[in-house]
Amino acid sequence: MPRFDTLPHAWMVWDVPAPARRGAVLDQTRELDKFLAEIERRAFRMAQIALRDPDDALDVVQDAMLKLARNYCSKPSAEWRPLFYRILENGIRDLQRRRTVRKKFMVWLPGSKEDPDNEAQDPLDSVADGGPDAPELLMQDQAMQKLEGSLRALPGRQREAFMLRNFEGLDVAETAKAMGCSEGSVKTHYSRAVHALREQLGEVW
Amino acid sequence: MNEHTQDAARSAWELRSRELFESSVEGLDMRVRSRLTQARHAALDAAAAARRRPWFFQMRVWTSAAGVTAALLLGTALWFGSPAGNHAMTAADQSSLEDLDMVASTDEGSGDAMEMLQNDLDFYDFADKAANSGPAA
Repeated sequence: MPRFDTLPHAWMVWDVPAPARRGAVLDQTRELDKFLAEIERRAFRMAQIALRDPDDALDVVQDAMLKLARNYCSKPSAEWRPLFYRILENGIRDLQRRRTVRKKFMVWLPGSKEDPDNEAQDPLDSVADGGPDAPELLMQDQAMQKLEGSLRALPGRQREAFMLRNFEGLDVAETAKAMGCSEGSVKTHYSRAVHALREQLGEVW
Repeated sequence: MNEHTQDAARSAWELRSRELFESSVEGLDMRVRSRLTQARHAALDAAAAARRRPWFFQMRVWTSAAGVTAALLLGTALWFGSPAGNHAMTAADQSSLEDLDMVASTDEGSGDAMEMLQNDLDFYDFADKAANSGPAA
């Protein structure tokens, strides 16, 4: 009968850190760092488009990063992207829901009126009206503002599908995983989103 | 416009929107970039801390199960510790209930019970007066 300490991988039983394991942990940390660095800015912009507020967007992205790192860092790195975006979209939806409830509650409080600043942020305000200053609107930043405004006017699921597929470059299967729906639904949401956006913005905007 | 041309136009439109998005990502200010970097480092620290935890704490199912078990134990303790759930009656409780029953009963013996109570009151009244008046001369 072989002695215990001569068994292969005996260190695993006693949890003695073996050099190979330490190396694997370091590799995983580096990989997670690289993955987060690669997606953090795009994730922030997507959250900002959905939430309008940069501070809320930063909070949601940070929360998603922490949850991914705490709960799923041991998963294969190929699964991180859809998982991260699922956490992020859930966070965005939770925040939007809380805002809606708060807004409903505030209506009943005396002296609370609709915030006049919100009127200025109406997404439809940024849609081109074909006026005389249309050539100026072709400038890049203004075009992006218009796109953002139109994206905010889309139903949530269509916006998610469009941003994940087009901005983040996820394929249909990954987008379905991130959105928690079927691949058929992703295709439908994406197609409707593109159709609605092209109608709003025109072929060239 | 045939289908091929429509697809090409759609692809060009999608490409343009992606380019606009990418350029807006590149244009993020330093404050946002710095906060994102801090958030990333915090996440990496959290991952390292999660790896250091013993395996049984890493299992989220166990954490949930522990919470449910603790809640059940607490509920059981509260139920059996409360008067509503206390079915075992002590001798003192039994005696108090019998006294109360005797006093409050409305059957034939209730007159005797009230008389006994009245006698007791008379005795306590007498004892109180005797104590206040000091030793008898």
